Amino acid sequence: MANSDTSKRLNELRMKHGRPPASPSEPKAEKTETLREAQPRFRGLESGHRACQGCGEALAARLVMESAGPDVMVANATGCLEVFTTPWPQSAWRVPWIHSLFENSAAVASGMEAAMKAKGKNTKILSFGGDGATYDIGFQSLSGMLERHHNVLYVTYDNEAYMNTGIQRSSSTPHAATTTTSPVGKERMGKRHLKKDLLSIIAAHHIPYAAAASVAYPQDLQRKVRYAMGVEGPTFLVIHSPCPLGWRHDSALTIEVARRAVQCGLFPLVELERGALTNIMPIREPRPVADYLELQGRFSHLFNKDDYRAQEELDHLQALADHNIDIYGLRGDGVDPVDTTGMSHVKRGGPLMGGR
Amino acid sequence: MTQITRGTWAEAGTSLDFKTGNWRSTQRPAHIHAKAPCHVACPAGEDQQAWFAELQQGYPEAAWRSLVAANPLPGVTGRVCPHPCETACNRVQLDGALAIHNVERWLGDEAVTHGWDYPVTPPDEDAPVVAIVGAGPGGLSAAYHCVRLGLRAEIFEARPEAGGLLRSAIPPTRLPRAALDGELARLLDLPGITLNLRQRLGRDITVEGLRARFAAVLLSPGCEMPKPWSVKGAVPADLHEGLALLRDFMDHGALPDAAKGDVIVHGGGNTAMDICRIMKRAGARSVTLITASGLPGPGTAPDDVINVVPRELEEAQEEGIAIIDHATVSRLIMKGSRVTGVEIVALKKEKGKDGRKRRVEFEGTERVISVDMVVPCVGEQVAPEAFEGLLSGAYFWPDNPQGRIGERVFAIGDARGSRGTVAAAIGDGRIAAEAVAAELAGEADPVTDARPEMGFDGLNTAYYAGSARVPVAKLPVPERTFEAEIEGGISRAEALAEAQRCLSCGNCLACDNCWTMCPDNAVIKTVEMATDGSHYVFDYDYCKGCGLCSEECPTGYIQSVPETS
Repeated sequence: MANSDTSKRLNELRMKHGRPPASPSEPKAEKTETLREAQPRFRGLESGHRACQGCGEALAARLVMESAGPDVMVANATGCLEVFTTPWPQSAWRVPWIHSLFENSAAVASGMEAAMKAKGKNTKILSFGGDGATYDIGFQSLSGMLERHHNVLYVTYDNEAYMNTGIQRSSSTPHAATTTTSPVGKERMGKRHLKKDLLSIIAAHHIPYAAAASVAYPQDLQRKVRYAMGVEGPTFLVIHSPCPLGWRHDSALTIEVARRAVQCGLFPLVELERGALTNIMPIREPRPVADYLELQGRFSHLFNKDDYRAQEELDHLQALADHNIDIYGLRGDGVDPVDTTGMSHVKRGGPLMGGR
Repeated sequence: MTQITRGTWAEAGTSLDFKTGNWRSTQRPAHIHAKAPCHVACPAGEDQQAWFAELQQGYPEAAWRSLVAANPLPGVTGRVCPHPCETACNRVQLDGALAIHNVERWLGDEAVTHGWDYPVTPPDEDAPVVAIVGAGPGGLSAAYHCVRLGLRAEIFEARPEAGGLLRSAIPPTRLPRAALDGELARLLDLPGITLNLRQRLGRDITVEGLRARFAAVLLSPGCEMPKPWSVKGAVPADLHEGLALLRDFMDHGALPDAAKGDVIVHGGGNTAMDICRIMKRAGARSVTLITASGLPGPGTAPDDVINVVPRELEEAQEEGIAIIDHATVSRLIMKGSRVTGVEIVALKKEKGKDGRKRRVEFEGTERVISVDMVVPCVGEQVAPEAFEGLLSGAYFWPDNPQGRIGERVFAIGDARGSRGTVAAAIGDGRIAAEAVAAELAGEADPVTDARPEMGFDGLNTAYYAGSARVPVAKLPVPERTFEAEIEGGISRAEALAEAQRCLSCGNCLACDNCWTMCPDNAVIKTVEMATDGSHYVFDYDYCKGCGLCSEECPTGYIQSVPETS
C-alpha cells in the first residue's frame, strides 16, 4: 500500500502516547510494568541521584516520600538533597518540586500552600532542608511559616554540618565534633559550642506536632510522617541522617551509627504536641556515648590517650546524653516492644512492630 | 504568562537515565545462602533452618516434609539424638539454643497422628532393587532414600522385628515403643520397600549372593559384638557385657542376681548411661559409673567430655547414679572367679611425644571399692561372620564419604567405625542411597555441599527479639519407671512459638531490611523474579556498593563480595 509507511508511523505515535489503536487490526500499545514500577510502595525519590554511598539523607528523604506521597509538593532548600537529586537536565523526584534559595524553602512552601488553598486543592506541601538551611540560614522563614500556621510538613535532614560545601560546622554540629571550620588542634577539641536544641524552639511556636526521628528506625520514622500528614497545620520533623563523608565512618555503618546515637541518648526520639512532650522512644539499655563516637572519624581525637582533654570531652558528651535521658525520661522500665531495642525487631516477612 | 525555559526544569524521575551502578569500585552486595550451623552439625543432614522457616510461616506439614527429605525418622531422632544441632545453634550466644529436638519430635508425632504422606512417589515395577542388610536406623534410612530416588529396596533383617538398636538397646523411657512402631510402620509401608525378617547374613544369605542378585548391596549390620574387655588379663567368670545385659533386660525384663548389690559400670557412652539407670531402677544398692572422660563443665576440654546425650547425664545424676570421672579400673579383686571389689585409678588423656592423646594413669591414686558386679560398657564392634575380606579390623572403615567398600557394596552406620549416633546412621543411609542412584544412572558420586557456614559474627543481632527457650516438663524421679517416657512433649502452640526463635542463619528472612534501608532504591522487592529463594533482587544499575544492606541483613544472607566476581 502506498500509505503504509504513514500509517505505520501514525500507529507508532499512538502507541508512544498510549492512545488506543486506530482499528482493531492495528497492534495495541503493550504497556508492561517493569519490576521497579511494580514496587508496592510510592517511589517519590527515584534511583540515579548522586548522593554518596551510604547517604543517610537520601535514605531519609526516600522514606519520607514513601509515606507522604503521592499527593504532595515539595519545596526544597539549597543543600545536599537539592544538589544530588536534581543535576540538570535530570530529576530524581516524581512529585512537583521547587528549589529557590538556601534561606527560603519555608517561605516558598508557605506560598505553595496558599496557592493550593486558593485553588481548593488538598495537596499537602512538604518543605525540606538540611540542618544548615533549618537551624541557621532558613531559620527565620521557618519560624514565620510556623507562626502563620501554614498547613506544611517541614522536614529537616540533620547531618550536623554543611556537608554540601565541604563539612563546615553548623549550629547543629554536636559539641567536640571536628569540621573544616571547627578543626581539632592546640586550642580546641573540635566544635567549642553545643548543638542547638532546635526542637524546643520549634515547640515554643505551639505548633500541633513536632518530632525527632532517625533513619535507624524506619518504621518509627514513617509512622511520624504519616501522623504529621494527617495533622492540619504546621508540623515539623527532624531526622537524624548520618553522613559517611562528613562524619567519617564506613558507608556500610550509616544505620549502626544512627542507631547508637539514639541508644546512647545523644539524639532523643521525642514527640511534642502543642509544645508538650507527648511521646518518647524509651531506651532499653543506654549505651555509653563512646560506642557511638568511636565509629566516627569526626570524634577520633576523643580517643587520643595522650591528650588529657580527650577524656574530659568524652565525659562532657556522656553528661549531655545523660541529661537528655534525664529531662525526657528516656530510661524505659523493662521490655517495651516500641523501645530502642524492640523497634528494630523483625520476623519472617517484615518488621515486628511495622505500621504501629 | 511567564515562559519557563528548558534550563529551569526537568522531567520527573529522569535521574533513572543516570546509572550510578558504575560508582561501585571494590564490592557489591550478593545473596549468599550459607549453611546454618545446625545443618552443618547434623549427622543426618537435616536442614533445620529450612524446616523452621516453614514452621515460622505456620505450615507444620510442609516443615515435616522438608525435614523428612533428609531424615525419615524425626519422631525417633527427636527422642534419642544427642542433638549436636543445638550445641551448634547460634542462638546459644543470645538466650539459649532452640529446642530443636523437641520440635523435631513434635513434628514426627504429628505426622504419625495425622498420617501425613512421605514425599515419595512409588518407584517403577522394574526399577533396580537394592539389597539392604539390617533394618536399623541406617538400613531403614537407606531404604527410604532408595525409594525417594526411584529405586526399590529389599531389607534383610536377622531379628524378628525391624528397628535394630532402636528396639534392642534404647530403653522405652527414652523411646517409647508406640512412638518407634508408629514411625517404623509408616516407613515400611511405603511402596517399593520389602522387609525380610529372620534372614541372618552367613546363615540365610551372603554378601556375594546378594551382590549377584541385586543392583547394589548396602551393609548396615550395626555393632553386635562387645569389644573384648579384661583388666590386666583378668575376666570374671560371670561377666555380663553392657549391651547384652540391656538387650536381655529389654527382652525378658530380668537382670542377674548380682545386680541387686553394688554395681560398677565401666565405660562412657549412652549404653553405659542406660544400663546404669536401668540397674538403679531395678533395685541395685548403688550404681557407679567409672569413665575415662570428664564431666561437662567449664574446666573440661570439649574433646574430653563424656559422650552422652547431655540431658541423659543430667537425669542419671538426678536418679542417684554416682560418676567417677577421669578414672579407670586398674585391677579386679576376685574371690575365686567372682568379683568382690575393684581397684580404680585416676587417669587422664594427655598429649604424648607424637602429639597424639594417650591415657596416663596416675600412680598413687589407686583405691579399692567393694562391688558385687562389674559391667563393662566399652563399646561394640562388627560381628565378623560373613564379612570376610570386607572388614578392616573391627569395622569397615570405608575411605570415602559414600561408604563404598567394594564394587556396588556400601557400609552404613555404626559398622563404619567412625560413627556412633542414630542420626549418623540415617545420614549414611541417605548418602549411600544417593551414591547408588548416581552409580546406576551412570553418574559420578554426588558432590558434597561445600557452602560456608554462617557463624554468629555474620548475623546482625540488633534485629532479633529476645525470647527464652520453651521449658519442657520431665517426669519427677520417683515416678520414673521402666516404661514411661521421661521427657515430655510440647504443644502445637509451643512448637510454633519456638520456631519463631529461629534466627534463619544464612538464609533470607524476607524481613524487608534491605528493601527499606537502601539509600539508592537499588533493592527491588519481588517474589517471582527472585529465583534464589529470597524476595529481593539487586538493581546493579543503581547500586553504589555502600554495603549498608549487607551490614543490616540480620541473617548474613547479603554479603559484600568483590566486584569482579
